Amino acid sequence: MSKELILMMHPTFGVLAVIASVWVFVEALNAREANAGRLRSASVLTAILMWLTYIVGGYWYVVFYGADKAIIKAGPWPFAHGFFMETKEHVFLMLLLLATFLPIAAWGDIVKNRMTRNLVLWASALVVLMGLAMEGAGAIVSMGVKVALLAKQI
Amino acid sequence: MTAHAEETDRTVGPTVSGYGLSYAITSLLSALLVVLKESNQAVHDLLVAITGHHWITHGLLVVILFVVLGAVLARRDTGMGGTALITTVVGATIVSGLIIAGYFIL
Repeated sequence: MSKELILMMHPTFGVLAVIASVWVFVEALNAREANAGRLRSASVLTAILMWLTYIVGGYWYVVFYGADKAIIKAGPWPFAHGFFMETKEHVFLMLLLLATFLPIAAWGDIVKNRMTRNLVLWASALVVLMGLAMEGAGAIVSMGVKVALLAKQI
Repeated sequence: MTAHAEETDRTVGPTVSGYGLSYAITSLLSALLVVLKESNQAVHDLLVAITGHHWITHGLLVVILFVVLGAVLARRDTGMGGTALITTVVGATIVSGLIIAGYFIL
């Protein structure tokens, strides 16, 4: 498998995890016996997709990122690594745990217990917001490589 | 609403509160580990020595801590109210995120 394909799989799984978490949020807004099973399935899907994002992205980060890091640091956007990548790689670990917690919370009494439902709403909303922040940070890291390579050509 | 129903409404159950609290504690400790390993070369080197990469070790540590702490707290039943648990989960996410981002922006 080419490293470019591995790199593209990382944000793809991430976006799908964000969409699945939006699905959990919407189901939780209208939690009833009829949709409880669907809500729990979506929460498991969110966790699985986030773990795939972690494994694929982690593999790419450990094996291939070193070369990109050197390019970024020598280019005009060193903060793309120094702030965005460093923050992203560590905040992501929290996001992974929160996405893992989501199905645990969803297996509580989401239909009759208002607090459990509110907790699922908050957890899924945080997964969405943090997931979007990760996507944005990833875009800046990619741009850091691009502007560095462009600067070399000029 | 009966007293039992009110009680059920205020708490979220031992498993959910145990793992929720575990998430909050693990997130904060993970953020502190970021500061520690980035500011102390010996800690960084120790994390590298365990798996070959500091980030892999860091990830393994937080996942293991989350699972173990969650299992322990779920058995003990923290008795934490739903509102307090939500505040703790959201608060820990914000504070941990600020610790990490704040460290790298300074």
